[in-house]
Amino acid sequence: MDNTVKRLLERLVRRIPSRMLKTTLDKWSRLTATQRQSIDYTESKWALTEKLLAICEENELTVKHIAELEMIHVIENPNLGMWHAFQLMDPQDDAHSVELTQFKEQFKSHLSELIRHVSIKIKKHTDEAVWIRIAWGDTFSRPNHLKPTYVVHYLQTPYVFLSSLTSKQKPLLSQALVLSTRYQAIKDANLSGRKLTAIRDLLMKQYLQVFPTKFPSPLAERNRVVSNLHIEKEQAGSAANRHQMACEAFGDGLLPQLQSAVYKLETKFRDHTNKTMTERDEPFRCVVKFASTNLLESLRHSASSGVASTPVTPLLSSVPLKGKNYFVITDNGPGPSSQK
Amino acid sequence: MVCERKQCASGDRTGTTALSRVTFTGQHCGYPEVGGVVTQQPPKSKTCKRSGCLHRIKYVQKNKEKDSGNMEGAPAKGVLSHLSLLEVKARSRKTQLQQQSRVMELKAKVEALKTQREQLKAQIQTHQDLQKLRLAMDKQCADEEEENMEEESENSKLLRLMARHTQLKDLLHAHHLIGGYDIIKTRKGKGACVSIATAYEDVFLDTFNLEIDLKPTVKISRHNIPPFIPLNNLAEQNNMQTDLRVFLDTLSKHLNAFAGRKQQLKLVKEKHKSVEVMESNVLCSLLVLLFTVPREKTAVLCTLDYTDHTRCLPTRVHLESEDKQLPDSPQWKKNCTLLMETPVHKALITMKKMGSIA
Repeated sequence: MDNTVKRLLERLVRRIPSRMLKTTLDKWSRLTATQRQSIDYTESKWALTEKLLAICEENELTVKHIAELEMIHVIENPNLGMWHAFQLMDPQDDAHSVELTQFKEQFKSHLSELIRHVSIKIKKHTDEAVWIRIAWGDTFSRPNHLKPTYVVHYLQTPYVFLSSLTSKQKPLLSQALVLSTRYQAIKDANLSGRKLTAIRDLLMKQYLQVFPTKFPSPLAERNRVVSNLHIEKEQAGSAANRHQMACEAFGDGLLPQLQSAVYKLETKFRDHTNKTMTERDEPFRCVVKFASTNLLESLRHSASSGVASTPVTPLLSSVPLKGKNYFVITDNGPGPSSQK
Repeated sequence: MVCERKQCASGDRTGTTALSRVTFTGQHCGYPEVGGVVTQQPPKSKTCKRSGCLHRIKYVQKNKEKDSGNMEGAPAKGVLSHLSLLEVKARSRKTQLQQQSRVMELKAKVEALKTQREQLKAQIQTHQDLQKLRLAMDKQCADEEEENMEEESENSKLLRLMARHTQLKDLLHAHHLIGGYDIIKTRKGKGACVSIATAYEDVFLDTFNLEIDLKPTVKISRHNIPPFIPLNNLAEQNNMQTDLRVFLDTLSKHLNAFAGRKQQLKLVKEKHKSVEVMESNVLCSLLVLLFTVPREKTAVLCTLDYTDHTRCLPTRVHLESEDKQLPDSPQWKKNCTLLMETPVHKALITMKKMGSIA
């Protein structure tokens, strides 16, 4: 049996947790009922791999089929790996009426034109996301299925999410995407994270945002019920105010889980007590990185508890507002004025 | 003479007969007491009968500078008595002052309440004038207004503005109640927040919000409108800078139509399980359904194109089937028109009743 198939299958069985293996294999539907029943999921991974290899040989499955299985697994678990968001710019007139079949054909033909050996698989998920798996080869070698790139795009939106793309592959993929979606350019959206669902929710505005309204906000009702009537909080008013401003800046309820925010400073040093630094002509380069398991939640909490001053500084509130977590700050004015 | 001090239990101090009238002041525990008639000979000093009090009652003659009776023990008690006198004087001054300041306080309060009353009266008057003006405005008596134009004073101009303000607020509230958008001021007039409610078939769906900066230019600062609604294009096309209302009306149409189409898709998925949704998209502008004709079990693929994003009904219906003649049959031509004219979830109910689809 082909070595690549073996290696791919081995790696895949290792990656998929035992409890999910059954459901993934059922979804794959490349195994007959008897074959499926013959697999004992309590065995060790090594034993399972051997069993599956045998079945695949029986069914004469190729690397493409295994790639399918891998894709199913990745679609079910999109929060693994590192995802980067890109934005398509300047739509042409027919960009809004691009439909799936057209996009699929166009993308496959454009990418195949640009690079000879490439294996493309496109699948539409139930939530309207178009998933693309690309195994790259070049003029001399066959597509490498062990290092595929995954692309997620929602038609009629300008956002594309990529994972595992090298800098050599980037221009090829960008061109294929731009042509098939009928836009004119693509640029880095400066948003990245481990969870695809989080960066998608942030850009598609799928989390609960808070806006000023005329009518009392439900936040007040949902605030903690007074546990003891004899205890009165002296600063209840200002605490509620801070909480409101924090929620307006970051959102309410569960927030998309970002892992970091990076600020690259290229500003002049401004501390007057330090003459050596202020006398320099070049800007002071500094990188500030905030890291957390749930960055937006921590920022919101720091604003509502008073650690960060309210009204929330635009440097922090730009993360959800602009949907970015990489900023380059220059001297042109307060806040993130210039972005890559 | 009985000491008129309340707690004092001292009894009568007068003598038997009153031979001359001499006012005297008695120092009793340092407090002044009411003078009275006394005999020629003031009684001897007595001890205060107040329990626990060790003071002696002294009788000092007022009209005469010196009194022999009083000089007894005066050198020893003179300083103390003088001090007590001073203390008494100080106390009396304080209570007088207190009384005076209390009186001033009350007078000031009266003044304040009077001014408040005047203010409230003026407010009631303004309110009544406003009501009258509003009635006149609502009836749109243009003639009356023109007549009064020349006689308008500052006050009536202001009143007219206030009436117009309340009229606009009521209009906005009514607009909000019927499911239109709502707008409020934020950041002390420098910004506004618009809430656009969406509804379909008498059910309220999502609400979308826009925060707009009004100064220096009209610009959208924050919103929760999904990216497949072309917000920036709409803002440019409808010239948001000059005509905010047109922009908001168009945006409201787009959002309501989107919510309506989304709701239709949801209902089709829920209520019509026999119909398979082959394709849809986030904007709900394209729907491909797979029907099964009963009995023959032929499949019919139906494509609904909603190219006009401000409408909930499709602009094009296309049917495809393995049976080439099926789309041209009169029954299916009728179904085609039905799908163009009624919302898809309702059309499917009719089609099922007619037996066109399973």
